[in-house]
Amino acid sequence: MRSSLRVLRAERGWSQADLAEKLAVSRQTINAIETEKYEPSLTLAFKIAKLFGQRIEEIFEAETERT
Amino acid sequence: MKDKLIHKGWFVISVAAVWILTYFVARGVLETADLSSTGRVVVALIPAIPFAAFLWLFITNIGQMDEMEKKIQMEAMAFAFPMAVLLLMVLALMQLAIPLSPDDWSYRHVWPFLPIFYFAGVALAWRKYK
Repeated sequence: MRSSLRVLRAERGWSQADLAEKLAVSRQTINAIETEKYEPSLTLAFKIAKLFGQRIEEIFEAETERT
Repeated sequence: MKDKLIHKGWFVISVAAVWILTYFVARGVLETADLSSTGRVVVALIPAIPFAAFLWLFITNIGQMDEMEKKIQMEAMAFAFPMAVLLLMVLALMQLAIPLSPDDWSYRHVWPFLPIFYFAGVALAWRKYK
């Protein structure tokens, strides 16, 4: 799942640790989301969207399914 | 919050260290001391007390982890449990196939493999999300 989390975070001048603290998750979790190694739960995605004042689909984009 | 979790993590490790130490002390006593059957059973059961404390702390600590950390724990268990089943199944069949020396393959030699499987599972899962 692609996300613009790194860009949004950088725009606000936050480090991964800052964002992790705001979302009450570990820095490793933020890093894994940004590097597309971990897909956040819907609950965490909602928290992220609320924090950045955007809709979930504006931050996260599902990979196009191969048929 | 993270500092609190790290602090608690160290506490879990400390209690685990007490449990392991108690195990080796109990093992040493059982191998060397001349005790009655009841005394031997009591000594054999003593490490279960710090283990119970460790288990309670470990489960509490998992409850405070974030979702990815919980997923890593689940994947570690998903690796460790089948590995434990595999080890015990192979040993059970090997016991029928050839005479296994109890000096090499008793329960006290086999159980340490189970935490090793868990730590291997944690390492594998961490690598995936690193």
